[in-house]
Amino acid sequence: MSEFDVMPGNKAVAHGVRLSRVEVIPIYPITPQTTIVEYLGEFIANGQLKAEYIQAEGEHTCLGIAVGASLAGARAFTATCSQGLAYMHEVVAQAPSYRTPLVMAVANRTLGWYWSLGPDYSDIMPELNLGWLVNFAESNQECLDMVIQLYRISEDWRVLLPSMLSLDGFYLSYSYERVNIPDQETVDDFLPPYRAPYPVDPTISDKWPAAGLPPALHTTYRRLFEELMEDAKKVIYAVDEEFGEIFGRRYGGLIEEYRCDDAEAVLVTMGSMTTAARRAVDRLREEGEKLGLVKLRFLRPFPSSELRRIAERVRAIGVVDRMVLHGTGGGGAFADVRSALYSLDERPPVINFITGMGGEDIPIEDFVAMGRRTLKAASTGRPEREVEFIEHKPEAAPPPVQLEEVMPIYPGSDGCAGCGSSIIIRHLLKVLGPNTVIVNPPSCAGVNFGGVVTVPWVLANYAAAAGYETGLYRAYRIKGKADKIYLTSFSGDGGTVDIGLQAISGAAERNESFIWVCYDNEAYMNTGIQRSGSTPLFANTTSTPAGKVWAGKPEKSKNMILIMAAHRIPYIATASLAYLPDLERKIKKAAEVTRAGKGMAYIHIQQPCATGWYFPPEKTVEVARLAVQTGVWPLLEIEDGVLKVNIKPRELKPIEEYLKLQGRFRHLTKEQIDTIQAEVKKDYESWLTLEKMGKLPWY
Amino acid sequence: MGLFTYSEDVIKGFAVSDRTKRGGQYVGAWRVLAPEIDYERCTGCMLCAIYCPEAAIVANEAGKPQVDLRFCKGCGVCSNECPVKAIEMVKEEG
Repeated sequence: MSEFDVMPGNKAVAHGVRLSRVEVIPIYPITPQTTIVEYLGEFIANGQLKAEYIQAEGEHTCLGIAVGASLAGARAFTATCSQGLAYMHEVVAQAPSYRTPLVMAVANRTLGWYWSLGPDYSDIMPELNLGWLVNFAESNQECLDMVIQLYRISEDWRVLLPSMLSLDGFYLSYSYERVNIPDQETVDDFLPPYRAPYPVDPTISDKWPAAGLPPALHTTYRRLFEELMEDAKKVIYAVDEEFGEIFGRRYGGLIEEYRCDDAEAVLVTMGSMTTAARRAVDRLREEGEKLGLVKLRFLRPFPSSELRRIAERVRAIGVVDRMVLHGTGGGGAFADVRSALYSLDERPPVINFITGMGGEDIPIEDFVAMGRRTLKAASTGRPEREVEFIEHKPEAAPPPVQLEEVMPIYPGSDGCAGCGSSIIIRHLLKVLGPNTVIVNPPSCAGVNFGGVVTVPWVLANYAAAAGYETGLYRAYRIKGKADKIYLTSFSGDGGTVDIGLQAISGAAERNESFIWVCYDNEAYMNTGIQRSGSTPLFANTTSTPAGKVWAGKPEKSKNMILIMAAHRIPYIATASLAYLPDLERKIKKAAEVTRAGKGMAYIHIQQPCATGWYFPPEKTVEVARLAVQTGVWPLLEIEDGVLKVNIKPRELKPIEEYLKLQGRFRHLTKEQIDTIQAEVKKDYESWLTLEKMGKLPWY
Repeated sequence: MGLFTYSEDVIKGFAVSDRTKRGGQYVGAWRVLAPEIDYERCTGCMLCAIYCPEAAIVANEAGKPQVDLRFCKGCGVCSNECPVKAIEMVKEEG
């Protein structure tokens, strides 16, 4: 029996994935996609879905895992958006030729440029022309249904191409709607298990997808892929028809027409904006205006002939674009619509409205105005302007509170009450002074404190932050400024031990003279507490939820100190916000080492996070202190290869004292606590053993 | 705030950050409990100010800590860290 529930779009997607019995789900958090994969994690943790669930260390790898799984013949799913989708780009381009019919949800969000969490189609735009089917959902129900439909379409041997399901961030991803959840048996009948024609599996197949072709065949295969796209159109219509018969919901295939029958003009929309546009059409219809609406459901394959048929019936078309093709003067859908109509002998005027960028709401009134302008173009036969940007004044925000005293970091930030990272930033800048430049891969510190510090705070792309820092350092060096400016990162653990590691390793191997500060809150806090490579054993996070099947994170964290020591950089240290004199001394040391041009200094600072570790905010410093006293976070430094454990408690406190303060460990069994205790003891003693060696032998 | 501080500068289409125009917002309304300092007990060690996540505690003329309640989020770190237990988190009047 199907059932109804009220849920956000991201959960509807997750239900679609669950019902599709997806077998492999690689994930990497990014707002506003993350809850899709969190819901999937919950399904798996509680035994409602059986699937491999892999938290990758970056999106590039994440899509790589999905393609790999699909190559081996498994049904794969992942989700991303914005910067993450851009970082996947290379793998996005590879997937179609491997004919991997995976489905990826894209919870649209602006691609920086200027950063925004809100949706527009600047993220999906660069991915449109690589051979994926690209579908735009209008409602949460459509999200759920289209996951199932897209697997059916993609896995059809006449298609065998990957699909993107585009759902607007916030407007769908986080907005609650009533959704029908079909029952599993009916979905099973509609969507049989995936059968790969040429799985990479030498036990059953002697053939596998080819990676290369002679240049002469490239043109041929490009033509074949265009034919595949045409074939896909037929499959899209057939699947929608069959889905409608079984589940009672039809979406219309490539486009949906709304009140178009006698329309003199139509607006063309896609995604969630369509709902507001429908209401505008209704309003104008009540006034007797003959306006219709065309919803582009698939942007790839593009519904060219469908739009030609409409163009033959109407006298003007207004295309609403939530994306701009810079340098062309207009939007992406506009360019496609206009290009599709060029072959007609007589074409109605096509006008373009660019609006809702950066996630700005597009109100019904705006659609009414756009509708009127399109109707006017229909009556005059000429638009006043071909492309129009619909702009609004920003809401007046209170100005920053200007204090008389210049402070390295001003009070009144957006940070959580009791946030430890602001304590670290203040003491970092106290030592380094005003001529400091902070390079910051995306993190909660960037969002919360980037605007209240009085030194340049350079937001860097996630995986490239150590690259940004290298570039800044080399520029200062060639300009004779390297000893006048302190250059440091302020990076979270994700930006250090996961997605940032490749660039950090490169910089460390080149021994660039800058400071890398990692403030380690042991999970992806900015996206809502997902596990990172720094999350400790058995910790409960939103991507390692403790449930009937799972018991928290099954792995220990990476040993970043040893990884950095393997690069033989001159200074490496751990620090704690509970031991500020030690922390300040280490920052000073790092400043001396880098100012002298000796090479890279790496400081890894634990930052207990009340929000993500689930402890009361007043305990921030206490938890940090207990981490040192229990041996979980030993304070140590490696100076030119000589390792020293700075603070050695006479006797380590039992680990339980540290764990019991934190909700993320509430689920632990006695056995799990014993295991953690044994691991902590082993690690702590390992540092003491290394200390006894004097100089680490590879220095 | 945060990433979204910008100002229009003289070059067309070039949004810039300006460190001389930085500052936070009054966040006192976040607070549920407020720190109340018992100045009889307080030794003026200023650990509370050193650990205050918001930098909302400064020294007054007597060299004792004073909380700027406009910026205090009420996290209670000061109270928890005070070595002589001179700071109590209390419900505010009104």
